[in-house]
Amino acid sequence: MGKHEIRLRRQRLSARGSDRFRNYGAVLKQHGEEKRIKLITRIFTFLFLIIALIIVLIVIARWENKHSEPQPNASSKEIINKIT
Amino acid sequence: MTEDEIRKELAILERSKKDSQAFGELYEKYFDRIFNFIYRQTDDEELAGDLCSQTFVNALHNLPKYEFRGFPFSAWLYKIAGNEVNKHYRKNKGNKIFSIEELKVRELVEQATEGWDEELVERLIKYMNELPTDMIQVLELRFFEDKDFKEIAFILDMTESGAKMRTYRAIDKLRTNFNLKLKYNG
Repeated sequence: MGKHEIRLRRQRLSARGSDRFRNYGAVLKQHGEEKRIKLITRIFTFLFLIIALIIVLIVIARWENKHSEPQPNASSKEIINKIT
Repeated sequence: MTEDEIRKELAILERSKKDSQAFGELYEKYFDRIFNFIYRQTDDEELAGDLCSQTFVNALHNLPKYEFRGFPFSAWLYKIAGNEVNKHYRKNKGNKIFSIEELKVRELVEQATEGWDEELVERLIKYMNELPTDMIQVLELRFFEDKDFKEIAFILDMTESGAKMRTYRAIDKLRTNFNLKLKYNG
């Protein structure tokens, strides 16, 4: 464990001291904002994944098209030669 | 905490899962305790205020995941607060502070000699600075927050026997070095 420092406090923290920070309205507001940011981040991540998936599918489709074009084989060449 | 109180809290928590406004009742109930717990570990009112707010915001975020495991709800809040404090120190790379109230030290320590011995307290503070931080954490929860070992184990993510062992060792060290009569209700 890390190092620490012990301090002796002469005065007790007054209730008024902590009351300055007591604000449930602010907590609710922050909670709402962070929830919204989380939702937006989730939506963007989802959209990004969908777009990435579409791009991958397009690339695969193009690659397959490129490789499945009919190539002239030996027998067809022979037929052409015979005709000419 | 009585069973009836725990049942009431659970009912509020169930309502809070659907309506965040309902959580306000628990916020009011535990705000001071959580604030003081954080303040004792930061010695900075502004920082304690910020971390305390963040603790309750995180509690609200994670409320749907909350399950009753035999501890009062406050233990869950203490755990979140402890994590917030640790996160703060990790981020700022500073030494952890434990700000102890003199009055609490008086209550805690039944001195062998009568009256308040300033020199003894100074030596005690110096000695506590040398103890491992995890030992101080256990002592703080046990003697300043009055938590039982089951709760301490939950808050600090350790086993109950581990929490007991750590407290025993810390108290033993203080007893032998300072001739103090520390109360231990293991």
